[in-house]
Amino acid sequence: MSINENFAHYSNLFIALALVAYAVAFFAYCAEWAFGSSSRLGAKASAVGRLSAAPAAEREATVSVGSSGVSVLTRTAQDDEEPTVAGESLRAEVVGRFAVMATVLGFGFHAAGVLFRGLSAHRVPWANMYEFSCAAALAMALAYLALLATGKKVRWLGLPVSFIVLLTLGVAYTVLYTDAEELVPALHSYWLYIHVTAAVISTGAFGVATVATVLYLLKANAEEGRLPRLSGVLERVPSSGALDRTAYRVIAFIFPLWTFAVIAGAIWAEKAWGRYWGWDPKETWSFIVWVIYAAYLHARATHGWKGRAAAWIALAAFVCVMFNYFGVNTLLTGKHSYAGL
Amino acid sequence: MDRGESVTEQTDEQVGTAAEAGGVNSGAVDGDGASSDGAIAVEASSFDPGYGAAGGRLSTAPESDRSTVAVPRLGSLDLLRWTWRQLTSMRIALTLLFLLSVAAIPGSLLPQREIDPSKVLQFSAAHKSWAPILDKLQLFDVFESVWFGAIYCLLFVSLIGCILPRSLAHFRAMRAAPPAAPRNLKRLPVHASFRTDAPADEALAAAGERLNGRRFRTTSGTDATGAWVSAEKGYLRETGNLIFHLALIGILVAVAVGHFWGFKGARLVTEGTGFCDTLAGYDSLTMGQAVGAADLPPFCVQLDKFSASYQDSGDQFGQPRTFDAYVTYTATPTSRATKVDVKVNDPITVNGTNVFLEGHGYAPVVTVKDGAGKVVFNGPVTFLGLDAMFTSSGAIKVPDAEPKGLGFQGYLLPTAVQVPGSMPSSVFPAAQHPLLILSAYAGDLNMNGSESQSVYSLDTSRMTQLDVKSKTNPAAGNALELEVGQSATLPSGLGSITFDGVDQWAQFNIAYDPGQPIALGSAAFAVLGLLGSLGIRRRRIWVRVTEQGDGTRLVEVAGLARTEGATPTTEVTEAAEALAAQLTVSPAEAAPEDVAQAAEAAETADSAEPAEPEQPAEPEQTRVPKQQRKPTPRTGASA
Repeated sequence: MSINENFAHYSNLFIALALVAYAVAFFAYCAEWAFGSSSRLGAKASAVGRLSAAPAAEREATVSVGSSGVSVLTRTAQDDEEPTVAGESLRAEVVGRFAVMATVLGFGFHAAGVLFRGLSAHRVPWANMYEFSCAAALAMALAYLALLATGKKVRWLGLPVSFIVLLTLGVAYTVLYTDAEELVPALHSYWLYIHVTAAVISTGAFGVATVATVLYLLKANAEEGRLPRLSGVLERVPSSGALDRTAYRVIAFIFPLWTFAVIAGAIWAEKAWGRYWGWDPKETWSFIVWVIYAAYLHARATHGWKGRAAAWIALAAFVCVMFNYFGVNTLLTGKHSYAGL
Repeated sequence: MDRGESVTEQTDEQVGTAAEAGGVNSGAVDGDGASSDGAIAVEASSFDPGYGAAGGRLSTAPESDRSTVAVPRLGSLDLLRWTWRQLTSMRIALTLLFLLSVAAIPGSLLPQREIDPSKVLQFSAAHKSWAPILDKLQLFDVFESVWFGAIYCLLFVSLIGCILPRSLAHFRAMRAAPPAAPRNLKRLPVHASFRTDAPADEALAAAGERLNGRRFRTTSGTDATGAWVSAEKGYLRETGNLIFHLALIGILVAVAVGHFWGFKGARLVTEGTGFCDTLAGYDSLTMGQAVGAADLPPFCVQLDKFSASYQDSGDQFGQPRTFDAYVTYTATPTSRATKVDVKVNDPITVNGTNVFLEGHGYAPVVTVKDGAGKVVFNGPVTFLGLDAMFTSSGAIKVPDAEPKGLGFQGYLLPTAVQVPGSMPSSVFPAAQHPLLILSAYAGDLNMNGSESQSVYSLDTSRMTQLDVKSKTNPAAGNALELEVGQSATLPSGLGSITFDGVDQWAQFNIAYDPGQPIALGSAAFAVLGLLGSLGIRRRRIWVRVTEQGDGTRLVEVAGLARTEGATPTTEVTEAAEALAAQLTVSPAEAAPEDVAQAAEAAETADSAEPAEPEQPAEPEQTRVPKQQRKPTPRTGASA
């Protein structure tokens, strides 16, 4: 089947529009952070954050009375108690909501761009580095918007996520761009749909977890008064406990998918090359990523490792995710070298 | 490798709750050491039997033992026990995981014999000074090295040492009844209560029925405070965790099986030729220890034609689009020949053995005549592709030519373009305008020497280069440039060479791995186990009915989870509401002002101004009279 040049053109157009919308969103998030006030709520939540390591019984209990005469008492951390970026500033709240709208718009263009790319070449739209970058950025934006859609108060993720999505998409559009074409023979397999899709989604979600992890490390230091210059800004993000939980939940949710991506890759390798595991550089680095995230999950359940040490492990794991993508594809030669620039 | 609740978590707050609830200082948790298992600490130091058991055994993680970190006095048995405990501790497991990931890195950065031995030779030649040191350290065989093997063996020993006791503990936990209800349910992370006129038996029966209906495992009992129902759910979390780790052992077994009972080989064939699955049929063959020559299935494969197509426009110009190896094969010497098109992702399977298309290239067909005019060589010579445009290099060896042996070394350009004044180069990978560029040598090819020669290069140490400079094409230098059909005569009457055409070759990999089904099954179990281990929440719910003295009964429902953020708030609330709806809720004797206060607090909460607790008082239930039932938003007040 030949390439549909019109669709390929639309795809490029949509990606360009997505870049514009994400840029608008990014600046709106910046404005939200700038206008946001450090409120009493924020100060209080910081105090709660410091206490989040303390036994729950010492913490405030929340009482609610249901319609049926049942009174409920909870001592778990409530997301409602966490500060927001906008704080009490109405202006910041308005700009923040606008930023989310711009993100949604950007996501729409972005998704259309990826879709038309696939339609133009009659195949799954993640078969080279340009397409994979676009798709991973889309997965990351999706992870953020999905968290928002499920009612999680994660607008604090907006600024870093929009920045990373913008950066990834920008690099893809300017450096990695390649025309929409047919696949190389090595990719003529339905495993492309399964294996690479799982890898794309995992990469995007690991990115979101990394943002939360970095913020956690900053916030944890700020809560101990070690980052006086940043403390004003960091009052807008949730307590270190909440950030740590967000990072953990995303990683725990996506780790089985990454495991599946590696296994699907092994099954494909067996079908294409006659062995399911051969320590090809991509296989080796996927293994390294898997082992380090496994170490993170273990560390987080281990006394003396949980908290900051575990967070550093998660960061190391994401550095390996990035190397597995950029480093292995460009610096090392192996069987995954068709991922052409 | 899960020592603490592994991938399962317990937040400090919950540890705190359980510990506080039990009247155990949470410091006991800190004192606990390598394990994360706060609940274990509670269990171990449960002063109050009513509580310790409540949080205990929610995980089957083994008890940790920081106390044993100090090396014991050297009793051999003690030392052994100490070593074993260290090995199966979470800290060591974590360390081994890190070592494993770090140890794998050189395997991706340095050339590996297992993957491409020729690259190792190239690397060694280029780095003569330290390549031998790297080789001594087994850095060219990382994944077969002693140290890599040691790390993963220790890791698996550690894993087994952890998983076996945990499996036993889990098996016991599955058969045991949930623990008795703590005395003070209010101190658990979520607590719901109401009053009822219904008799205690009815309330307990309703609670048991509801929890059983939700597939909780339940038990009931009475103590000094009153009667209770205890329920637990989510055992599959630990089951999944154990299955996942056992599946990893399964994968290790699969690799071992493949190693002992499998084989893999490679064979390069040019169009029109073939090979059979015998020892002699392969260019290279690796057989497991348990495989003999007789175990190779007797099939034969012939390559009829190889065809490739390439992108001829755009920014991916020259990228391959299709590879087809048209093959005729016979499964056994007596069976009928079958014609198939082997593609990259589409191997042929003969009796469980797979034949894969691994690579391809060009084989220029040449005719060499010697000084006597006798044809001493005629046929295709395989050249190796070097770049994306398939510039290929190779050597033509004619040791039997008279009076002197002849050798040619050089390049094949599939689609040659020559810009005046520079060397010709290939601009497209398909053979559209092939050009053969050869240096010619005469003398002893040294093919009987002790060292094996590469078929792609010439040993010119005992040969002299012939002067084949062309007067008409001085740009070629001292090399022959032949298009298809052209011939060149060698100087001094040594003979001639003719470029007849270009054939293609394909390389096939032949692999048999009986460990594959085990690996696939184990991998599937690993993913399923992981989903259970990370996705299922293990939690306990208790229902306690207490006589209030005024003829009513207080029904309390409380919950505790071991999984982070998994406090069963909704489950507890819904259970309480369902029970309240089922049993008649007693009109509360709360004073109207209590309700007014609650409503006021709710309003302040609405305006995002949460009230700070006025005074740290023990929480107590706010009851709403039945006739005043209406939804009241959560208040921020600590009553």
